[in-house]
Amino acid sequence: MSIRVENLTHIYNKGLAYETKAVDDVSFTVADGEFIGIIGHTGSGKSTLIQHLNGILKPESGSIFIGDAEITAKKIKMNEIRKRVGLVFQYPEYQLFEETVSKDIAFGPKNLGLSEEEIDERVREAMQMVGLDFATYAGRSPFELSGGQKRRVAIAGVIAMRPEVLILDEPTAGLDPKSHEDILNMVKSIRHRAGGIVILVSHNMGDVAEMADRVFVMDGGKLARVGTPAEVFADEAFLKRIGLGVPPAARMANDLAARGLASGRVILNIDEMTDFLADTLSGARESKS
Amino acid sequence: MIRDITLGQYYPEHSRIHRLDPRLKIIVTLVYIVSLFLVKDFIGYGIVLVTVGIITAISKVPLKFMLRGLKPIVLIIVFTFTLNMLMTQGTILWEWGFLKITKEGLYNAVFMALRLVFLIIGSSLLTLTTKPIKLTDGIESLLKPFKRFGMPTHELAMMMTIALRFIPTLLEETDKIMKAQQARGADFETGSILRRAKALVPLLVPLFVGAFRIAQELAMAMESRCYRGGEGRTKLNALKFRGRDALAIVFTAIYMAAIMAERIFI
Ligand SMILES: Nc1ncnc2c1ncn2[C@@H]1O[C@H](COP(=O)(O)OP(=O)(O)O)[C@@H](O)[C@H]1O
Ligand SMILES: [Mg+2]
Repeated sequence: MSIRVENLTHIYNKGLAYETKAVDDVSFTVADGEFIGIIGHTGSGKSTLIQHLNGILKPESGSIFIGDAEITAKKIKMNEIRKRVGLVFQYPEYQLFEETVSKDIAFGPKNLGLSEEEIDERVREAMQMVGLDFATYAGRSPFELSGGQKRRVAIAGVIAMRPEVLILDEPTAGLDPKSHEDILNMVKSIRHRAGGIVILVSHNMGDVAEMADRVFVMDGGKLARVGTPAEVFADEAFLKRIGLGVPPAARMANDLAARGLASGRVILNIDEMTDFLADTLSGARESKS
Repeated sequence: MIRDITLGQYYPEHSRIHRLDPRLKIIVTLVYIVSLFLVKDFIGYGIVLVTVGIITAISKVPLKFMLRGLKPIVLIIVFTFTLNMLMTQGTILWEWGFLKITKEGLYNAVFMALRLVFLIIGSSLLTLTTKPIKLTDGIESLLKPFKRFGMPTHELAMMMTIALRFIPTLLEETDKIMKAQQARGADFETGSILRRAKALVPLLVPLFVGAFRIAQELAMAMESRCYRGGEGRTKLNALKFRGRDALAIVFTAIYMAAIMAERIFI
């Protein structure tokens, strides 16, 4: 399965004095199994863009193909699309409503019209995937959990629909470092186990650099850059100009390069930087002795 | 979608109507509402239509935007229309079983529906052209005389300010939650009434939880800025009566005179 987006434009409040062109003529393709990171300043249109991918928003113009299905066509069955494309909204914990965690996670699968056994199996699987012990949490009220746990429940609610495309809109926003780490590991393990396409919207450049195969950079509703993390984060000046940064290790690498100490290798995270420094320093020690 | 509801919403512009004293606008709106009940035939509504049309044009609020405000009350209008049409005795135009439409009924139905529409349009003109904060300042100022009788005018005005302020926030919240549940396959648009009512649970529960959360956060924010009610509190932008307000009074008087004259002489 692949995604193809062609000349997508979305305008909020069209025709009014305060209309906003939130997505402006965006085109891209995503191949099967790819992990895409989307970065961009607040208000650059990231959320608007991804809400089109499962048909929640209708574009002003342009078309979207999920596999062979054109979801922007008139007579498309929306539930079919939502089964294939799972979307976890920003702050998804605010959508919880059921009495128990397991009932809440079952909401999506139930809407797909699955059998009781199938639903139960999926709830268990989804809870395991997000790292919530079934025996401990299934019967508890989602409202008495911690912020990080609530968010896991919400994510499990989407995973339980077994989408082929999983889209997460800033899944780690507002979480403490531990929960942040947990959610990221969870995304990694889901991808590892389930395959399919993952699209991650994030403000954390380090996370995107580490996990994404390709990075989309949004600016003012336009898709400003597309490339591998190495390509995108090499142009620090451009990212700064549009209100973004680069991962700390990449910044250090870029600064070193600016002083003529180019390593020739791609450094995006601390581990790569450590390797580089270790190699360089041990090389220096050997040449001294 | 849900954002289409413009009732009680403000439309940011810089028109003469927007700049009028809110106290005056509230009184004029009340006068206008009274005038609607004085109208007795369609010529009277003609006067109302022209007046409302002129005010809308001056206010620079797009007509499309204003009419969208009618959407949520279409059901009520249709309901009163049907009831009036079927329940009035008189010359029968059409009959089917126990249902009959009379000439008087049809006239009544159109008349009442128009009254409702003008009522909504007139009062939404007030909210569309007046910032909520100004509106409540105006109400507080108008209620001042009752303060002597122990009416907590400032508190009432503050409650209203907050309620108005949070209408768009709650609508936004509703929109977000609706989208999130739709992404999980929820269906708010099809099915029987019972099914649809049940489908609202996943929307209403998070909405209430959210409303309480917002209220608590707001209370804390106010507390931490030492809010302690209206006693001795001064205003950053005190209300002032200006020349254009006097002009508005003249126009209102002319309008009322026209409505009265039409009622008495035609
Ligand atoms: N529901 C909405 N109604 C009107 N304008 C909106 C709505 N959602 C977003 N916008 C506007 O569209 C633009 C893009 O917003 P969004 O897609 O949320 O950006 P991001 O997710 O990158 O922060 C912003 O200018 C925002 O104010
Ligand atoms: Mg966003």
